Amino acid sequence: MLPGLIVTIIVIIGIIVVLLLISIGIYNSMVSLRNKVDNSWSQIDVQLRKRYDLIPNLVETVKGYAEHERETLEAVISARKMGIDAGNIKDQAKAENMITGALKSLFALSENYPNLKADQHFSRLMEQLSGIESNIAYARQFYNDMVMRFNTRIQTFPGNIFAKIYRFTDKDYFEIEEPEAREPVKVEF
Amino acid sequence: MYEHIAKNKAKTAFIIAGFLAFITIIGFALGYYVDYRYGVSGGYSILFMIFALAIAVIMSFSSYYFSDKIVLALTRSKPISREENPRIYYMAEGLSIAAGIPMPRIYMIEDNGMNAFATGRNPANGVVVFTRGLLENLNDEELKGVISHELSHIKNYDILLGTIIVVLVGMISIISNIILRSFIFGGGRRRSSKSSGGGIISIVFLALGLLLLILSPVIATLIRMAISRNREFLADSTGALISRYPAGLASALRKISSNSQVSAASNATAHLFIENPFGGKRAAFSNLFNTHPPTEERIKRLENMSLGVGI
Repeated sequence: MLPGLIVTIIVIIGIIVVLLLISIGIYNSMVSLRNKVDNSWSQIDVQLRKRYDLIPNLVETVKGYAEHERETLEAVISARKMGIDAGNIKDQAKAENMITGALKSLFALSENYPNLKADQHFSRLMEQLSGIESNIAYARQFYNDMVMRFNTRIQTFPGNIFAKIYRFTDKDYFEIEEPEAREPVKVEF
Repeated sequence: MYEHIAKNKAKTAFIIAGFLAFITIIGFALGYYVDYRYGVSGGYSILFMIFALAIAVIMSFSSYYFSDKIVLALTRSKPISREENPRIYYMAEGLSIAAGIPMPRIYMIEDNGMNAFATGRNPANGVVVFTRGLLENLNDEELKGVISHELSHIKNYDILLGTIIVVLVGMISIISNIILRSFIFGGGRRRSSKSSGGGIISIVFLALGLLLLILSPVIATLIRMAISRNREFLADSTGALISRYPAGLASALRKISSNSQVSAASNATAHLFIENPFGGKRAAFSNLFNTHPPTEERIKRLENMSLGVGI
């Protein structure tokens, strides 16, 4: 009788220990994923910052050849300032769009100044800029991937139980705010 | 795409489980054999085997640990810099961000064949090498497909997996080798005190065991090739997820399969390439011994992803 009782107790303790270990695993994986989401969001910022740092250099180079194009240059500089000063995500996204637009005009401008276009420094800067723009897009893609993984983890069983207890909440996807950006791009010659 | 990735990972686990079961059987055969020949005092051959295994493991893991340096030295690769080749550099940088791994160091081999491979013990020490033929003949979307595929190998720790498998295969070869050698040199000696009933059964058992031992290196190699092919499919799917454009890789594979021969490749490095580097036409039977799945199958799977079938 006694050995049977001891075995039962050991089995019960064993089951509890296993459940405990599983729970620790689930909780830790949720924390880990949440941190990955936060990290990937910061990585987008790293790329945005690279763009901010590049712009003054670009503006100076263009000024060397096309000083009279006040408007376009001013647009780029002020859009950049807006981006740096932005307090929340909405303002920052708006500023980012303005920067992209201003840079596009700057590039179109360079078509009228063959000397500027031929300048090695200028072409290298434009190359770097194009690389950064791609990186921003990739970083946003990765952020969305991480958000999907995290949200799935806290929405599906058994994660949803832990999510309720420890108050993990869904993260937001990075999405386009302005409906105009969703319109197909019109190419006119 | 996600489905493909999950399926491939499950297959890998399944194959490795099978491999471990196979090794267990071999080990069991070994134990049975040792017990049969030496009884309790079989110490020496076991010691020798452990020693041989230890050396095999140490060698394999050093080659894994320094895989990036070794491969670069062996193949005489030249680094690709941002200034010299911005097109490739920016592509690799962006895709690494999308993959969520640090950007690997990129190199080029002077070879007209179109191929690429990835190595490195973990994503922080990743290395990807391209042939000149590849860089010059593929367009941007195709190149992105290839880069994503290689990044997937690094991200999925395929190099680590490959090393472990090679060690296991080596173990099996060494074990079966030792047993077979002993059969040749001292076979037939029976301990007089071991008179187990059922002599016929034990002879049949012995014969089967012998057959298994002779075939075991072949079986182990087949398993290793199966795992390698499986990881290639996984790298295709994961790569498609990174680049979000499976058609790019499909198009690249079509171009590559006509000219994938790389002279710097060897049997040891063949499984690292994106396509079999030994060129030439291969008979249908040899598919089992191929490190890579048939190209048509890979292209078909990628194109099905593009069409939205099986996302």
